[in-house]
Amino acid sequence: MPTLVELFPNLQEKGYDLTSPETPFYNCIAWAAGDTSRWWWPDYNDQYYWPPAIPRYENLQAFILLFKNMGYSVCEDTEYEDCFEKIAIYVDDLTGKPTHAARQVAYGRWTSKLGSLVDIEHDINGVSGRRYGSIAAIMKRPKA
Amino acid sequence: MNYALVPSIEHDLAACPAISEEAKLLKLRAEQLLADYYKPLSTRWANPTIRFSDLKEEWERETAMLSSINEIAMHPAYQQIIGIGPVAVSLILYEMSKKPNHWFWALKSITGEDPVPSRAKGNIGEMTEAWLNWGREQRYLR
Repeated sequence: MPTLVELFPNLQEKGYDLTSPETPFYNCIAWAAGDTSRWWWPDYNDQYYWPPAIPRYENLQAFILLFKNMGYSVCEDTEYEDCFEKIAIYVDDLTGKPTHAARQVAYGRWTSKLGSLVDIEHDINGVSGRRYGSIAAIMKRPKA
Repeated sequence: MNYALVPSIEHDLAACPAISEEAKLLKLRAEQLLADYYKPLSTRWANPTIRFSDLKEEWERETAMLSSINEIAMHPAYQQIIGIGPVAVSLILYEMSKKPNHWFWALKSITGEDPVPSRAKGNIGEMTEAWLNWGREQRYLR
């Protein structure tokens, strides 16, 4: 298995911290939504969890709607704000399909579940690149 | 074939204080060529267990970092596992019993069944258990 830096070369610049062991039990979308019990994805085969109220499409609009349904709204910047939680949605640069979501944590770092691999804390650009593409939407909601 | 007879280039690389990415790639390629020379893919893949194992390894290596189930299941190695057909069902279920993974799409495609209750969608533990129970009922597993 390649190392995380081999998979995500941008992690090398500002480093990352491992925050969980590997597990296939939840993915990045579930992790961004605060759920570690299920894998969330609008798969064509209708086998995985996706909230019934959200269109089961693998496109940015559906993913934005997913997080809007949890109280987030689209915003412009990734800067850390004390009173808000933020998430970032990544899309493939060629297809425009969502690939990943990350959630902001304290001090402006971001937390990501990498597929069936580990959770890490990283810089906002740490997981951009060939695998996950680029950030297409930033969303925020007031902290509870 | 006794793989112990396949020459190893591990020793030479281990002696190097620094190994470039190019050297690692060359090492991988050289090992692949040696393995193919001593036991060609056509011979290895005549055995579905070995074929499954090779494809599974490739699929896991190349999709473990992905979240999109569509992309994970559309990977060529995964599609080839589906192509093995009913023989792959026992191999997949045995693999699942050792390590849960995203085998649900393949099992549904091969068998036409889906024993996972709607409330368990996305719950990998429950989905795995539902398929293992189905496998025992259908005598794919003991």
